[in-house]
Amino acid sequence: MQLARALATRFLLGLLSLLFISFVTFLADEIQPGDAATVLAGEKASAETIERLRENLGLNRPWPIRYVEFVSKAVRGDFGTSYYGVKEPVGQLVGRNVTMTITIASCAILLASAIGIFLGTLAAVWQNKPPDQGILFVSTFGVTLPNFVLAPILAYFFALQWDVLPLTWSVDRVAPDYYYLILPVIVLAMRPTALLTRLTRASMVETLRQEFIRTAIAKGVPPFRMYVKHALRNAILPVITAIGTSFGFLLTGSFVVETYFLLPGLGSTTIDAIRKGDIPVVQACVMLTGAIFIVLNLFVDLILPILDPRIRESQV
Amino acid sequence: MKLKSKNPRKKRLGLIFGAAYLVLLLLFAIFGPMIRNAQLSDVAKGVDPDIRVYNAVLDPVSSSPFAPAGGAAILGTDELRRDIVARLAEGARVSLTVGLSVQLIALLVGITVGVLGVLAPKWIRNPLMRFTDGMFAFPDILLAILIVSVAGLGMGPVIFALSVTAWPSIARLVASQVATLKDREYVVAAKAAGASNFYLVTRHILPQITGILLAYSMIDLAGTILAESTLSFLGIGVQEPQPSWGGMINGARLNMNSYPVLLIWPCAMLSMTIFALNFVGDGLRALADPRDRSA
Repeated sequence: MQLARALATRFLLGLLSLLFISFVTFLADEIQPGDAATVLAGEKASAETIERLRENLGLNRPWPIRYVEFVSKAVRGDFGTSYYGVKEPVGQLVGRNVTMTITIASCAILLASAIGIFLGTLAAVWQNKPPDQGILFVSTFGVTLPNFVLAPILAYFFALQWDVLPLTWSVDRVAPDYYYLILPVIVLAMRPTALLTRLTRASMVETLRQEFIRTAIAKGVPPFRMYVKHALRNAILPVITAIGTSFGFLLTGSFVVETYFLLPGLGSTTIDAIRKGDIPVVQACVMLTGAIFIVLNLFVDLILPILDPRIRESQV
Repeated sequence: MKLKSKNPRKKRLGLIFGAAYLVLLLLFAIFGPMIRNAQLSDVAKGVDPDIRVYNAVLDPVSSSPFAPAGGAAILGTDELRRDIVARLAEGARVSLTVGLSVQLIALLVGITVGVLGVLAPKWIRNPLMRFTDGMFAFPDILLAILIVSVAGLGMGPVIFALSVTAWPSIARLVASQVATLKDREYVVAAKAAGASNFYLVTRHILPQITGILLAYSMIDLAGTILAESTLSFLGIGVQEPQPSWGGMINGARLNMNSYPVLLIWPCAMLSMTIFALNFVGDGLRALADPRDRSA
């Protein structure tokens, strides 16, 4: 019962944050000079034309009414049309690009989880020995090194020096698509890999100190079985939470990687739209990114009590 | 983002080297552009004042804009014949200005909210901390991009956006510290003697947590500088011709095919600064917290 209430609170808070984001993105249009009417009418339009267009679009009404309309349209995925290019409907434009972001974020989180859990376990098994120190040292770099520093380093060696991978995404691709995604995925995966390694190590070290591990050793459980079945299974829970939140950060934090490798994704679309002042696209991208993050975090909150009975009971 | 080293001697070493690097960086940011300016030839001084500062003394007939390192321009020049050293120094200035202003604002807001979050009446306290938690959970860079999309581009909006993302973690830290300290015997004693809440906080509680706050804000400064560089790299932060490390990396990336060397300097400066700040923060935390020192 308490659990249900806690989840309901989380859900309401999530909705509230989403409303907050929608309000701020709505403000973007209010604060920036010019509005949809001035842009759509073009540069040569007279003041009367703009005024008439404004009347038609309903831009003369007071802002609370327009805000409500903005939200009700946004819920249905209608953000108007892009100011530039072929004036494509924004929903369509964003929908086309979001697949790329989801693809690279999913690949990156899979890669990061596999490597992170593996290395973290190894480090915990060889606690304070050279392999552990080596792994910790490398993961320190992984946490600290910015994406846009790692990307050029990798791109320089793999694309320019050795010429085994393409430098950036392009319209006329000569190799299969996934070739173009290898470097972006690796760059994107670096930080979560390092974080998950450190977290797995810390959690495993903690678990290996517990008494049931000593019991397992005493009754002669073979080491591999002891580490994997007894220790890792108990240590994995915080790691799963972190995988969930990291996935959220990846889905909403691929701005740099997408911009660097020129991938047509949600992040690069957002940045492009901000630079051009294409407000409807900015609004749609930001709302969608925010919604993805909030929903994903809600999902993590939901799945945790299912995985761990201790949380189910202690949840307030 | 913290670098953990169990060894206290190693920590002290990291603190010393990190602090030394930061002092050098500060001097470089203050005096670097001046030295460059003094070395300009008369020809260069006649050029448009906006770009003059960054232009090196160069052979005007050379066909390539890129001068190699070691000439009149110590680290060479970029695609617009601008001196790399001078731009790095200007970039350091930008990073430090943004970083320090953001930390200052975040500390002011964070301390106020953190203290209120514990000591204010319940109807203020609860919504305030809920709001803080909500802001804290949101990804920094996404929030910063959201704000920049509303506030516009340039250094001012960047400082504003990053301050908004930086205060919640400080508020949470202050709140947790105040919550434990307010029940300490000496605080309770002062309260019994009739001290006001304001007096208690400013005289008895805050002085206790300055060390931890300082250490924390050093590590956070690394995050702020990284975020500033990220925004500038994406082209929605500090705008050209104002140099910034992120903008330099972006510029160098576009010439990567022909002249990849240019990527090295801003990347190295940025990474070293972030490492140094982490080392200093970690070292300071060890000094500030005796439990950490013995552990």
